[in-house]
Amino acid sequence: MGAGLRTVILLSFVLAVGFLLIILSCALWQNWLPLLVALTFVLAPLPNAVFPHCCGADEYATSFEEGSGPVDFGRFITALIVITGFAFPIVLAHSEIINPKACAMSIVGGGLVYGTILAYAAAFKQENSEYD
Amino acid sequence: MSLPRANYDPRRVCINPFPDFSLGTHRRTIGIYLAGALFAFGIWIFLDAAILSAHAKSPWGDKDQPAPIHVTFVDWVPGICSLLGYIVVNLIDKDRVKGEDGFGDSRAVWRARLILFIGFALMAGGLAGSVTVLVLKYVLGEYPEQFNYYGYANVTQSIALMLSAVILWIAQSTSSEYEYNLTL
Repeated sequence: MGAGLRTVILLSFVLAVGFLLIILSCALWQNWLPLLVALTFVLAPLPNAVFPHCCGADEYATSFEEGSGPVDFGRFITALIVITGFAFPIVLAHSEIINPKACAMSIVGGGLVYGTILAYAAAFKQENSEYD
Repeated sequence: MSLPRANYDPRRVCINPFPDFSLGTHRRTIGIYLAGALFAFGIWIFLDAAILSAHAKSPWGDKDQPAPIHVTFVDWVPGICSLLGYIVVNLIDKDRVKGEDGFGDSRAVWRARLILFIGFALMAGGLAGSVTVLVLKYVLGEYPEQFNYYGYANVTQSIALMLSAVILWIAQSTSSEYEYNLTL
């Protein structure tokens, strides 16, 4: 119980740092375009969460995960969104719309946010599977 | 050659066996993630060129002289072809293309192969078109070196889309063989 609580506090702290970095990367240069990175990374785990439930029979889908189209499509979209989140600040910095420092900050912040989400999903996976 | 041939396979052609690509049960998942990542990489490298062109400065740092060339609709056409081909290739039922006899009618197999051919032709056409744009518009145009990036990005996009389609196809068809072995 204590370990779980510590994990939650640590993860929320990392999440806050990630959002802080993204917002700083916007606010320091008065250019709010990198805020889209936060939106992208928040949206990234959504397809994996939604599409397995689109298969109809849930028991089949979760027990025999291989070979179902919607699950594959969800994973494809996830990879697409994650790469988009990393590519977007690089593209903006390349064409000198945002500062290179803002680009680095938003990438690090986005990575922290997405890593937090992944770590949260991995740390509390057992309760989920019990629930299923 | 006193090495013991433990797993001698009479069908083998090469002496050295190919490394065993067994990533376990996650092979399909990894392949699909990789395909999505390549797809996004291809799209974004072209969008990067387009955005860079829209914000282009003059090559000599001179305010009066605008950039000599921009990304126009011509540059978008190969990417659109590749994207259409990508969609067509992935819409096909992969079991139909293999064409086992006695499984469905043969005309469906023929139609599936025709549509698959159209899809791959569209993707190859996109690749050829992007090379054409690179050569005709940028390399032969005698522009400064930095503007050739638009053309190279276009070619990279087409190659990435093609690789992504191939990886997706392989990743999705390995698992079906596995299923097939399981059911028999």
